[in-house]
Amino acid sequence: MASREVLAELLWAEKYRPRTLDEIVNQEEIVSRLKKFVEEKNMPHLLFAGPPGTGKTTAAHCLAHDLYGEEYHRYMLELNASDERGIDVIRSKVKEFARTRVPGEIPFKIVLLDEADNMTADAQQALRRLMEMYTANTRFILIANYPSKIIEPIQSRCAVFRFTPLKKEDVVGRLKWIADQENVEYDINALETIYEISEGDMRRAINILQAAAALGKVTVESVYKVVGLAHPREVREMIKLALDGRFEEARAKLRDLMINYGLSGLDIIKQIHREIFSGEIKLPEEYKVMIADYAGEIQFRLVEGADDEIQLNAFLARLAYVGRKFKV
Amino acid sequence: MTKKIPWIIKYRPKKIADVVDQDSAKRDFTLWLKAWLTGKPDKKAALLYGPAGCGKTSLVEAAANEFRLELVEMNASDFRRKQDIERIALTAARQRSLFARGKIILLDEVDGISGMADRGALDAIIELINESRYPVVMTANDPWDPKLRPLRDVSKLIGFNRLSETHVLIVLRRICMAEKLECEEEALKMIAKRSEGDLRSAINDLQAVAEGYGRVAASLVQALLGYRYREYNPFEALRNLFNARYIWQAKTAVTQANLDYDTLLEWINENIPKYYSDPEEMWRAFEALSRADVYLGRIRKSGSWDLLSYVFDMAGPGVAFSRKRYKFKFAKFQFPQKISKLAKTKHTREVREGIAKALSRRLLTSRTRIKSDVIPFLHVIFMHNPQYAARIALGYDLTDEMIKLLAGPRANEVLAYVRKYRRQRT
Repeated sequence: MASREVLAELLWAEKYRPRTLDEIVNQEEIVSRLKKFVEEKNMPHLLFAGPPGTGKTTAAHCLAHDLYGEEYHRYMLELNASDERGIDVIRSKVKEFARTRVPGEIPFKIVLLDEADNMTADAQQALRRLMEMYTANTRFILIANYPSKIIEPIQSRCAVFRFTPLKKEDVVGRLKWIADQENVEYDINALETIYEISEGDMRRAINILQAAAALGKVTVESVYKVVGLAHPREVREMIKLALDGRFEEARAKLRDLMINYGLSGLDIIKQIHREIFSGEIKLPEEYKVMIADYAGEIQFRLVEGADDEIQLNAFLARLAYVGRKFKV
Repeated sequence: MTKKIPWIIKYRPKKIADVVDQDSAKRDFTLWLKAWLTGKPDKKAALLYGPAGCGKTSLVEAAANEFRLELVEMNASDFRRKQDIERIALTAARQRSLFARGKIILLDEVDGISGMADRGALDAIIELINESRYPVVMTANDPWDPKLRPLRDVSKLIGFNRLSETHVLIVLRRICMAEKLECEEEALKMIAKRSEGDLRSAINDLQAVAEGYGRVAASLVQALLGYRYREYNPFEALRNLFNARYIWQAKTAVTQANLDYDTLLEWINENIPKYYSDPEEMWRAFEALSRADVYLGRIRKSGSWDLLSYVFDMAGPGVAFSRKRYKFKFAKFQFPQKISKLAKTKHTREVREGIAKALSRRLLTSRTRIKSDVIPFLHVIFMHNPQYAARIALGYDLTDEMIKLLAGPRANEVLAYVRKYRRQRT
């Protein structure tokens, strides 16, 4: 077993995740309020809102750890709204979980519901009833990227915590620390580049660092290389095909990305957005701006709950139309 | 394929005798027309009525051909206002035919006129009938609609029967022969049966199957047209939608399609490029469809079902009127490919899902996010550093299949290291 410890490697996003509230180096305001809950051994329902990779889920786990100790998983039901099949499944799991009492000095158990903003309004209403039904011995922690997508009645029952994108020094400092732990060679400006690419998303930043380290010394070049490799070439090819008026081929690529690579519409439109301004796409500047604007519109619609393929097809059709005008 | 002539046009009857069944209607109509040509009609107009696709318009076309009359065809919904009728129809009705031939003025689908809103239109038709020097023929599905009463009063009513399956079958066989198609009798019977006497839809269905597969077999008919009764199957719905001349037709096509909303949008999504080839038209159609989809998303999030009407507005008329000018096209519509593609890639997706599942518990994030944010970087590691990749594979107990998916061409190297490490462990 000892040799396994040596040989087996973890993803650094897991390996270096804070386990206790004390280990969290940012979001100071939030952390100090959460520590109060631990002191008082009580808490209301919580809503953690903020962009991806800002530590919402980690904070929830740290909070549970500090409340219940190492065995905290026994006291916490983890659900992810994107992965569970509907509110009925969630309801029966919560019911099952809340039924049993667990001995200990904390009088409640925790239901952690991640990506709660992916639930429909109807499902959220059902969730609100669940929260009320089991409020005597259960606390909910809801996690959401977009708090505006959580219905009013739930928001008003929760203490809302807003997580902000991580600051440059926090991300770079953390990356540096991890790199030192792992004996990875790096250029400091490579770490800054990682911060810029990951837009304050710590998990993404750590993933990039680990992949770049797997290729050797972490330099600005290797960082860009990793990011380029991680983003399927299909995105660029798809854009080029569409601009060339070959809509159906572009659409086939799109389906490939969604079905084979398992990418969501949001992932794809964000990558498209990056590609538009890269030197690879040859278009007059004003067209790039116009297309970027349309990409933003499509992204917003997807966030609102529109269908991935239909929206992206509309985008590709627009490219095909613009591409023709531009050629003439 | 879109250039092909629709068979409903290619095989329309040239002579009155070619029109199947409808013996009494043929006799009555011929007598009335002959009376006109000799100058003594008892009624100046004829109103042909009967179910869809039973041969009303075909009979008029065949008669015009046989009697060498010029057919001035207008769709009744063309004239929303009185002036339109006066401008188009009355001119035709008064002027002598260009080649000194007689004329027949045909107003198709007069029951498409909506009562009060088109009061003027009804008056204009009456005026047209009174002033015309030529026979005026109207068609309708339901002649007993109260709003058509003024038209009934001035018209000779000629009723058409619903065609029997046997009659539909006769025509289908004839077309199969003419097209030199390999047709199973069983398949033709199925098409005939589900047409419920609507010959036009039967011919369209036959063409859809034949053009799609080059032969007509019962299994194909089952697969393509396995929808019951007179609700529209997706192919019919698309045909009606894309070729709609009027808003109400486009809207009916989508509201009466026998599909749930998501599936309906998926079918339209699949087939917009099959119908539109002009990039501007295609984009406009997709934009309209994507607006329908946005409304559907809002309904889902908010539960406001009263937005549904906007979904239909955008998916129906929005898509249909993206064209710059109207042109009937027989497009080769197809099943949404997404579904078949999902079936083909099932295995790969399951393996990927397995990786996502294994990692999501450990990384405290959803499977969706693992797929978008983590797996791409794992690919990079597995394809460039097999030794390190093998250690990660051990850390997460990844199966050989998962490793193959992540490492692609370098799978063997990674697997070799994994085996070596496993041996060292024991």
